[in-house]
Amino acid sequence: MATIEIEGLTKFYGKRRGVENVSFTVADKEFLAIFGPAGAGKTTTLNLIAGTVTPNRGTVRIAGNSIDGLEPAERNIAMVFESYALYPNHSVYENMAFPLKSPKFRVPDSEVKERVMRVAKMMKIDHLVDRKIQALSNGQRQRTALGRALVRNPQVFLLDEPLSHLDAKLRHSMRAELKEMRSQLGTTTIYVTHDYLEAMSLGDRIVILDDGQIQQIGTPDDIYFRPANTTVAKLFGDPEINLVEATVRKRGDAGLEVQLLGENSPVAVPQSLLGTIANRDKLIVGFRPADVEILDGTPDKKSHPAVVYSFEPLGTKSVVTLEGLKGSRLRALVDGRKHFEADRRAQFRLAPEHLMFFDADTKKFIGRHNSSETEDL
Amino acid sequence: MKNQPIPLGRLLGYVSKNVLLGVYVLFALFPLIWMVVLSLKPDSEMFNTTFVFHPTLENFQVVLTRADFLGALQNNLIICVCAVILSMIVGVPAAYALARFQFKGREDIAFTFLSFRFAPEILVIIPLFLIYQKLGLLDTYLGLIWVYQLISLPLLIWILRGFFEDISPDIESAAQLDGYNWWQVFFKISLPLVRPGLVAASLLCFIFCWNSFTFALLLGGGHTQTSTVAMNKFLASDTVHFGWAAAAALISALPEVILALLIQKHLVRGLSFGAVKG
Repeated sequence: MATIEIEGLTKFYGKRRGVENVSFTVADKEFLAIFGPAGAGKTTTLNLIAGTVTPNRGTVRIAGNSIDGLEPAERNIAMVFESYALYPNHSVYENMAFPLKSPKFRVPDSEVKERVMRVAKMMKIDHLVDRKIQALSNGQRQRTALGRALVRNPQVFLLDEPLSHLDAKLRHSMRAELKEMRSQLGTTTIYVTHDYLEAMSLGDRIVILDDGQIQQIGTPDDIYFRPANTTVAKLFGDPEINLVEATVRKRGDAGLEVQLLGENSPVAVPQSLLGTIANRDKLIVGFRPADVEILDGTPDKKSHPAVVYSFEPLGTKSVVTLEGLKGSRLRALVDGRKHFEADRRAQFRLAPEHLMFFDADTKKFIGRHNSSETEDL
Repeated sequence: MKNQPIPLGRLLGYVSKNVLLGVYVLFALFPLIWMVVLSLKPDSEMFNTTFVFHPTLENFQVVLTRADFLGALQNNLIICVCAVILSMIVGVPAAYALARFQFKGREDIAFTFLSFRFAPEILVIIPLFLIYQKLGLLDTYLGLIWVYQLISLPLLIWILRGFFEDISPDIESAAQLDGYNWWQVFFKISLPLVRPGLVAASLLCFIFCWNSFTFALLLGGGHTQTSTVAMNKFLASDTVHFGWAAAAALISALPEVILALLIQKHLVRGLSFGAVKG
């Protein structure tokens, strides 16, 4: 049993905010991803849990016991650093055996060898154990760093962007391996990343940090489909979500419609949101590039005219940037087999069920078409 | 494979490069050569300008047996080794703190250490002499070891600081999470990583201390006469024995040369890493 409870964790570096009032809990054996842009306070959060940085305020409890003020060694936490933090003057074996020879986690010599070799095999570096760290490639270093964390049985794993320095291909395969490993290990894990794909594919739940504050906590689906505010919506997904301002108008007797992208083709407000939207006249509407459908045929009532501004082929998919009537630019993700010349006229359509509505002032999530619940955070 | 003739231009370049290097080596080593020559000359031929002389070992014999030069060498050794050890004990933690910890006035303190090396020793020798007189530290080992900290400590701190700054704090955090307390991390991880710097810095400190003259002359005395001062005695106002002085200087330089040769590898690495950057 190793739940982690974090309450009101705050750390300022001088006047600069590291994190402020961060609170969340991690269930036993849960894999929690912390996601955020550079400088969001992700690593600070990990360091505060690990005890290598002292918070100004706040409490961390592991398995119900407060660990505030404990030395890092006494917390029984294993951490993989972004820089790997391997001991440069030791071999791979010595690096991995280092925690097992410490006064705190000492095990008999015979067991050290057995455990190091078992983990080395699991990490597929058993043929490298006698190498010096300098003689390793980045991927091998990363495996060694992970191996050093795995040799003992900590209560909690902290992984700080372990894949960020690997090349794209290796990153993908390591992601799959990590995913498999997490089911084998069953240890409570906090995983920090700035790659939303990693967060989505690995995390049971995701904590979104921005500028030292928590923006949202939720499952990958929650965060992708019901982002708490426009910041989260922009951070998650690539290419970035389209956000456009829209005005609200009456439609018929009881209905409402929003008008976005010029005069044409207003979109009906879903029934479930009528109540919350009724007293607003401005909104921000968000939709993912994948939900923009570029039409081949002639314009119809529901389509919008635009001009192709740029075209980036990415293989299976292509990103098309469209320039709307008012000069607003939208990103669309289309099938990679299609080709669009720049400056060409195009028609596109938005499916109303994919629209997300945000408050124009607070930028907070109001709701989306097919979600029954309305989150008012 | 046929032996291709080397083009004339490249051959000329090769030859002139080596000739120039040879000339430079001669230029750089000439004082040393001159010293060796002097030490082997008898007094009567001391002022000959030709290189023809009757070599003799008499100078060495006098220096090693008649004058108490060996005693002075021993004094110098004791004082310098102790001074360097003291510098290490004080300087290693100081360098670590200046590299790692954020505290008020950190740069000022670091600069103050460095500034000890700015002023010539002669500038502070009179107040120091008076203080030493009051404290009874004149002509004691402790007094000289203490005052030599002015020479060795700033050097050691500044070289080592760069080395400690080069160690990623993550490595220390990792070791702490691996179950070691701060002291164990320091001795098992950090200190081994700065060893090349420590070796280079302490050697440099030793050389500077070994060659120090002003402090030893004015704050030392009969008990604690160092080799640099003892050498000077051969050049008294009435009798000037250049041969003796040269022989003594040669003997005195020997430990430094041997030390430098032994740890040449560390010296180059130690001084080219860390120390040169701000």
